Amino acid sequence: MVSPHMTHTLSREVKKGSVELLILALLEERERHGYEMAKQIERRSRGAITIHAASLYPILYRLEGRRIIEGHWVEKAGQRRRRYYRLTSVGKRSLAAQRNTWHAFVQGLTRVARIRPA
Amino acid sequence: MTPIDWRAVVRSELGNVTRDAASDEEIVEELAQHIAQRYEDALASGLSPAAARLRAVEELRTSGAMQQELRQARLAPRPAPTPPPTVGKGSIMADLWQDLRYSVRVLTRSPGFTVAALLTLALGIGATTAIFSVLDAVLLRTSPLAEPERLTMVWETDRASSTTREPASLPDYLDFKDRSRHFARLAAFMGGEANLTPTSGDAVRLAFLAATQEFAATLGVQPIIGRMFTAEEDRAGGPQVVLISERLWERDYRRARTVLGETIRLNERPYTIIGVMPNAADFGVMQVLTLAAYGRAFADRDRASRVDIWLPLQEDAQTLPRDTHPIFVVGRLKPGSTLELAQQEMTSIAADLERQYQSNADRGVYLESVNDVLFKRVRPGLWLLLGAVALVLLIACVNVANLLLARGTARLREVALRTALGAHRPRLARQFAVENVALTLGAAILGIALAVIGLRVLVSLAPPEVPRLSEAALNLRLLGGAIVLSVVIGLAFGMLPIMQARRLDIQGALRTEESRSATAGRGSQLVRSALVVAEVALALVLVVGAGLLLKSFWTVQRVDPGFDASKVVKAEFQLPRSRYPVNFQVWPNFVEMHRFNAELRRRAEALPGVEAAAIAGNHPLDAGFTNSFQIVGREAESRSYPEISVRRVTGSYFSTVRLALRRGEVFGEVEPQAAAVAVINETAARLFFDKREAIGQQINFWGAQRTILGVVADEKIHGLTSATPPAIYVPLQQTPSANGAETLLLRVAGDPRSATSAIGKVVRDQDAGLAVFGVEPLEQTLADSIQQRRFVMLLLSLFAVLAVVLAVIGIHGVLSYTVRQRQHEIGIRMALGASPERVTRLVLMYGARLAALGIVLGVAGALLLTRFLTTLLFGVTTTDVGTLVTAIALLTGAALLATYLPVRRAVRIDPMDAVREL
Repeated sequence: MVSPHMTHTLSREVKKGSVELLILALLEERERHGYEMAKQIERRSRGAITIHAASLYPILYRLEGRRIIEGHWVEKAGQRRRRYYRLTSVGKRSLAAQRNTWHAFVQGLTRVARIRPA
Repeated sequence: MTPIDWRAVVRSELGNVTRDAASDEEIVEELAQHIAQRYEDALASGLSPAAARLRAVEELRTSGAMQQELRQARLAPRPAPTPPPTVGKGSIMADLWQDLRYSVRVLTRSPGFTVAALLTLALGIGATTAIFSVLDAVLLRTSPLAEPERLTMVWETDRASSTTREPASLPDYLDFKDRSRHFARLAAFMGGEANLTPTSGDAVRLAFLAATQEFAATLGVQPIIGRMFTAEEDRAGGPQVVLISERLWERDYRRARTVLGETIRLNERPYTIIGVMPNAADFGVMQVLTLAAYGRAFADRDRASRVDIWLPLQEDAQTLPRDTHPIFVVGRLKPGSTLELAQQEMTSIAADLERQYQSNADRGVYLESVNDVLFKRVRPGLWLLLGAVALVLLIACVNVANLLLARGTARLREVALRTALGAHRPRLARQFAVENVALTLGAAILGIALAVIGLRVLVSLAPPEVPRLSEAALNLRLLGGAIVLSVVIGLAFGMLPIMQARRLDIQGALRTEESRSATAGRGSQLVRSALVVAEVALALVLVVGAGLLLKSFWTVQRVDPGFDASKVVKAEFQLPRSRYPVNFQVWPNFVEMHRFNAELRRRAEALPGVEAAAIAGNHPLDAGFTNSFQIVGREAESRSYPEISVRRVTGSYFSTVRLALRRGEVFGEVEPQAAAVAVINETAARLFFDKREAIGQQINFWGAQRTILGVVADEKIHGLTSATPPAIYVPLQQTPSANGAETLLLRVAGDPRSATSAIGKVVRDQDAGLAVFGVEPLEQTLADSIQQRRFVMLLLSLFAVLAVVLAVIGIHGVLSYTVRQRQHEIGIRMALGASPERVTRLVLMYGARLAALGIVLGVAGALLLTRFLTTLLFGVTTTDVGTLVTAIALLTGAALLATYLPVRRAVRIDPMDAVREL
């Protein structure tokens, strides 16, 4: 039995949970800064998932606190310094685990609610 | 177009995010760049500057409060400082130094834990060291006297009055010396007071010992310079020679060796200084005198007295016949002799003397080791304090162990992480060891500082009858021991994470924020709970002990002393024989003394604010001396009566101290030659007259038959906790003192403290050569009389408070930790519909179980241990129910308080956090 408290926060939480996975997946490719990640998420999901700075940076800092990602300032010639993030070895393991979890979740959803993933 | 200051925009939207300015700067910069980029992209896509700006700023606004999110994210455990490389590079010293620096960073990162651990340990170390240092100086350190266990007091006893510690007569002493085989030496001494007239300034009161020549050798002390007086000098009519104390030598002569041969004036007679006695020479004198049944001389008048003058006794059987008992006898046992053997011998000598001399009827001998005399009274209090302090130290160690355990489990994740990153376990172990040792040594330094301060406070507050207190210094052995104990605990409990990591699923540890590994958690949880139960139990024992002492003290304070001390101020002085001759041929007509007293009373009464003035031989809390007596018409019966306390007072005494009259009347200001009268107290009336009427009867002592005029209430002349002895009040004019010692008592209308200078002045105005001392409100004297009791009570209460505080910290710690560990479970329950009330009850029940078990154990412990308090209690039994119940209630309340924060935390758990981890 799910309490009333749970239902109205579920959609927000589902989104929050998935953004984490997206960020880690993006960083797996190469290191990026915050704005670039937001743009990539928007582009690759074709606008289905948009994320504002207000949501993105708290997540990034939390991930950094858990040492899943690592941020550092980079100064390139002629540019302002920017903060780039990269995946740590811990993060890699976490990404792999989260992928498995989502995969199992989606399979379960498919079987129960007959939703076909894209 | 002016470029937009995006940082200012961010700041205006968010304000201050964290408390750390540097952190804020970085967040602001990062966000500014983000929205700047957004703005540019919006411009590039064709939006107007205003619309683009709006789009950019919208990024910072959401339904939730962004500041809150950022703050929470930022304040989540910040990235740990980079741990030192896991493969040692360079020398051991360099590694250790690195470890130390890392340790300091790690410790400052969790200030709550560090401060709690530091304070707890420091308090434990500091308190124990301070108390033990006092104990060491007072009880354990070797005596300054040679072989003190051979020193024995030879008291005389009186079967008729059932007293066991009486001074002896001089002829008895000479016979003891002659006949005893078990004593290598026997010496006699008596105490007294004299006025020292310096070359300039006011006269000063000094305490002296008049002793036989063997005194120094018996005690085993030697003069620092000069010599002890010889047997030749110690005879009646001998030369006026004197030894001064080291203290006096330093104060008045700056340790100049030229002091030998100089003259000092005592009671206006010149004495030649022939030597200086070390400060240790009066060791135990105060305690001996205080214990004596009478003849206590300066011991009653000022408990802080130290002997400054040694005089030869210069008496013989003529001047001190066998029926007077003014001297104390101390002896040194021969090697091979024991106290028991010596006692048997002396008892038989006393029996012989009893048969030989009428004046020795009912007199026996009692031997008591000087060590017992010195320490018997203070031993119980001091050992009790040590016991209490040991308990507090134990609780402190338990708390620290708990703190370390909790932290250890929290750091499992760090250990797992670093092991995953390739750290060698021994390297980790070393680094953890350095961290714990750094913590405990830091606590040790703090503890030393506390010990120094604590020792100073103890010495200043302690009652003066505690021997050798001024010699108390930090006991380094104990300090070292306490530090070693702390280091051991730190190492033992601090290394747990390393050991637990062995059984750990590293993946599991890394995946979650807090490690919830079941095996590691449950074992240490049990230990921690047990420790907290122990803490609560110990705290209860201390609280009960403190409560009993508090109740005792309160009861003592409410005892009616029999007189009204408020608004009375006293001043003591001694009339020297040189100007106030004592001629027993004309007793009681000591004309000069009577004239002085009458004039002093007249002047004192005339002082502004003075309601009444009286002169007495002893103030109400000065036990004075006793004398044998006879009831006229019942002489035979009177022989079996105990001696009666003699109170010599002017008629105004009764109104000055408000001593209540029960029957009959009191005497007024009586002439020396008038009919001899007296007043007795209720105890005397009950003991000697029982059903019969005392008034009108006559009591015979000191050469006169004194008619009893009335019966007054009992004054507590032996102190608030002792029974009042039978006493007789006689007019000072009819019984002037043989040694000139007197006390002036004034009842004032205003604050007695403001009268202290006036009272001293009125005495000195009349005779400038008098040393006035003991000037204080009588209430102060009353308060001082229960000083030792107050001291022990205050200290024990302090420890009890400490113990309760530590127990609260302990319960809080365990509960907080439990809540954190079971966060997941609690979250699930709440997600499944558990109300905050149910969660509250869950946490509270856990805390209540711990506290209840601790309280039950504590009650058992208290009932067992409080018997050690018996000697210190007054009017309260060790199993006093009221105190037990109050203590239980107090600790229950404290336990509830400790659960407050953890319960709040539990209730605020977001069930979603728990669900997310599914």
